[in-house]
Amino acid sequence: MAKEIFMPKLSSTMEVGTLLQWFKEEGDSVEMGEPLFEIMTDKINIEVESYEEGILLKKYFNVDDEVEVNACIGYIGEAGEKVPDSPPAPAAETESEEKGQGNSSVETAGKTVSANADSNENNDGKIRATPAARRVSRENDISLSAISGSGPNGRVHQHDVEQAIAEGRLAVTPLAEKIAADHGVDLSQITGTGARGKIEKQDVLSYLESVNVSDQEPVASPAKRIKLKGLRKAVADKMVESVQTIPHVTLTSDVDMTNVIALRKSLLPVVEKDTGYRLSFTEVIIKAVASALCKHPELNASLIGDEIVMNKEVNIGLAVAVENGLIVPSIKDVNQKGLAELTQISKELGRKARENKLKPDEMRGSTFTISNLGMYAIDAFTPIINGPETAILGVGRITEKAVAVDGELAVRPMMVLSLSFDHRAIDGAPAAAFLTNLKTNLENPYSLLV
Amino acid sequence: MTKFDVAIVGGGPGGYVSAIRAAKLGLSVALVEGRELGGTCLNRGCIPSKTLLKNAEVINQVKDAKKFGIQIDSFSFDLNTMIERKNQVIGQLRNGINSLLKANKIKLYNGYGTVDNQKIISVDMEEKTEKLEAESIILANGSKPFVPNLPGLSDIPYHTSDTIFDIDQVPGHLTIVGGGVIGLEIACIFHSLGTKVEIIEMADRIIPAEDKEASNFLEKELKGKGILIHTSTKVHSFKKNEKTKVQIEKNGKETSLETDGVLVSVGREPNLIGLDNLSVDYDGKFVKVDDNMQTSIEGIYAIGDLIGGYQLAHAASEEGIRAVNHILRENNKKDFIMPRCIYTFPEIASVGMTEEQAKAQGYQVKSQKIDLAANGKGIASSENNGFMKIISEKKYGEILGVVMAGAHVTEMISQATSFMYLEGTMEELEDMVFPHPTLSEAMFEAAAKWLGKGIHY
Repeated sequence: MAKEIFMPKLSSTMEVGTLLQWFKEEGDSVEMGEPLFEIMTDKINIEVESYEEGILLKKYFNVDDEVEVNACIGYIGEAGEKVPDSPPAPAAETESEEKGQGNSSVETAGKTVSANADSNENNDGKIRATPAARRVSRENDISLSAISGSGPNGRVHQHDVEQAIAEGRLAVTPLAEKIAADHGVDLSQITGTGARGKIEKQDVLSYLESVNVSDQEPVASPAKRIKLKGLRKAVADKMVESVQTIPHVTLTSDVDMTNVIALRKSLLPVVEKDTGYRLSFTEVIIKAVASALCKHPELNASLIGDEIVMNKEVNIGLAVAVENGLIVPSIKDVNQKGLAELTQISKELGRKARENKLKPDEMRGSTFTISNLGMYAIDAFTPIINGPETAILGVGRITEKAVAVDGELAVRPMMVLSLSFDHRAIDGAPAAAFLTNLKTNLENPYSLLV
Repeated sequence: MTKFDVAIVGGGPGGYVSAIRAAKLGLSVALVEGRELGGTCLNRGCIPSKTLLKNAEVINQVKDAKKFGIQIDSFSFDLNTMIERKNQVIGQLRNGINSLLKANKIKLYNGYGTVDNQKIISVDMEEKTEKLEAESIILANGSKPFVPNLPGLSDIPYHTSDTIFDIDQVPGHLTIVGGGVIGLEIACIFHSLGTKVEIIEMADRIIPAEDKEASNFLEKELKGKGILIHTSTKVHSFKKNEKTKVQIEKNGKETSLETDGVLVSVGREPNLIGLDNLSVDYDGKFVKVDDNMQTSIEGIYAIGDLIGGYQLAHAASEEGIRAVNHILRENNKKDFIMPRCIYTFPEIASVGMTEEQAKAQGYQVKSQKIDLAANGKGIASSENNGFMKIISEKKYGEILGVVMAGAHVTEMISQATSFMYLEGTMEELEDMVFPHPTLSEAMFEAAAKWLGKGIHY
């Protein structure tokens, strides 16, 4: 009997998922636990493992298709089995159960990934593990950090977790568990002395004592510990994912902002009258970036799987600091918008972001991201790429510096731009050419009118 | 001279259990016993008292039968048959130990052993003295009833727990000096046999080492049955008349009572026979040991009543097992979680700390007591007298102690011990399913009420 493959529900707010890639073609054999496809939501992207083994019989959707949660996106079964030519109508989970066609595994898939996305298991931020492994570890209350993964790059697979459970490495009494949780102790650090290595109260207390003793100073009150969760967790996962998978290179360049300042000064009343918002340097930089991206489309590309996707739209994401995290609303088709419209959109998106009122659509689709720390005493930094984008621009403060102009020493308002790019997709020369172009745009902002 | 890996002095529940465990773990073992196998527990303690308490229970049921609609017009009992049954029980269990020793190839020496610092034991076997040498020695000498030097006591015939279970006549009036476990159990036996029992306890309450609520409950129950209890009362003297006259003093006021028999049950003292040549350290009257039951001489261990402490058969067994563990190079780290049972009518069973002890140790204590009065099984069987009390620490719901009072609680206390041993907390206890109708449901109710979500309470 062929089994349906469903679009998993990754979070309570997720309604659709974008298919980023299939790891298998129709006719390929699939092992249980093998990555089958990758999807992206407004929050994260994730590889989904197969919960069946057999032949991938049907793929109903292609890369970039947006698919409703719980919709059937394909079938796995035995070679030659007949499956429908078009996807069956999405079925609610309960209906699936009533049909009783082995949907429990699929239901599990949905639960797995969803729970993973919302997971409280945050000690494992740096740990590579499959969703199934995370589910099993969570259900059995085993910290992934205690398990050595057998997969590529030490990725922990389900059977690694099951093996660890079989070995009973982290059996713990309810009382010991409560005390450990209360003190924020990672149980995997503790050696159990009970039957078959079970961790008991005394083991936790001894551990706490040893930690305190090694600190060499009396701990008056334990440090406050904040559980990684919600947005903080999403940001953490995304950062780790980006840093671990993308080879970052950061280029910096000094930009003379004299002309941008003059331009902004002359346009300020115009834009304010038009929109009610004050034009800021950010919008001028967005405009200059869009212009440079049009000339250097490889910086506007997305690296998805083993394909570089040359995006047609120029959608610029703006990193906005919000309480307990960072979100990136995106301004669509920046190359087709003027400074007044950009000012209005960017100000409104910023406000919505801070008020947590962004719609999912306003948070996705960016093809290039700008992170502006110019309001602080920051010159240059190494921004982390917002994958699957291939580059990000870090903007520093504008500060007066002594520079040589036409052989004379002059004081000019200078700003450092920091461009991080994905060296898998782009090499140094084109990235440097883009940054040079951007610098030229900003030093001669009137050229943007051309 | 025969050499053994381990030689054990004393064949009671401490000694013979250690012997079997050591043999099971591959050691060659000698067991030295001067009297009967099974020690005080089997011959003069736990088993004879439980046997006679069963007789007492049957008598109580017969007396109570009317309440259940069963008319028993008259009945009588024969003390000799009762004592005979007790001796049969002892004989059966003693044979059991004997065959266990044989099956485990343990060499049994019948005679008192004298131990020296070189770990050589000389066994006095009447016609000859046999010497044996051992790598390690476990002293499980046990204890005997402590008889205080009270004026006139030596002039009267008095009983201790060593003699009372072989009594040939039921006394009309029995004075029990000492309201501890032994005195109270014997009080219940004789009360059921028709004796007028009077208990004299020096402390302000009976079973003073147990939880105060249990003590108060039991005192009330026993008094309700007609057993007289004098607490905070001293015995001044005994005088032999036609009956024995006992002079007592309470709150400075002296009175006297007349009695047909006296039982002295004020405590037990260690049996130091054969330890004269041994220079181990003592802690008061008792041999001093460390956490692994080792005395001040390396390779010589002491367990059971000889070292004081709990003075319970199962404590002695566990201590013996720990000694064997240490002989096999294993350290014993865990504290004891020791259950304690009192087989009175009704019974008292407890484990862990009492509420007073928990508070004294600095725990933030939150106790929960559930009365058995409304318990379904209790009402159905007319055994709804009693309570279950959980002594827990507030923060984690760690269970520090449990006290049970009522019928059959000695059989239920191990539920609490399991929970404590496996470090379950109040939340798990509340989450666990208890069968209905049972007395043990009160444990669930106590946990649920502790968490503020009791069903019937």
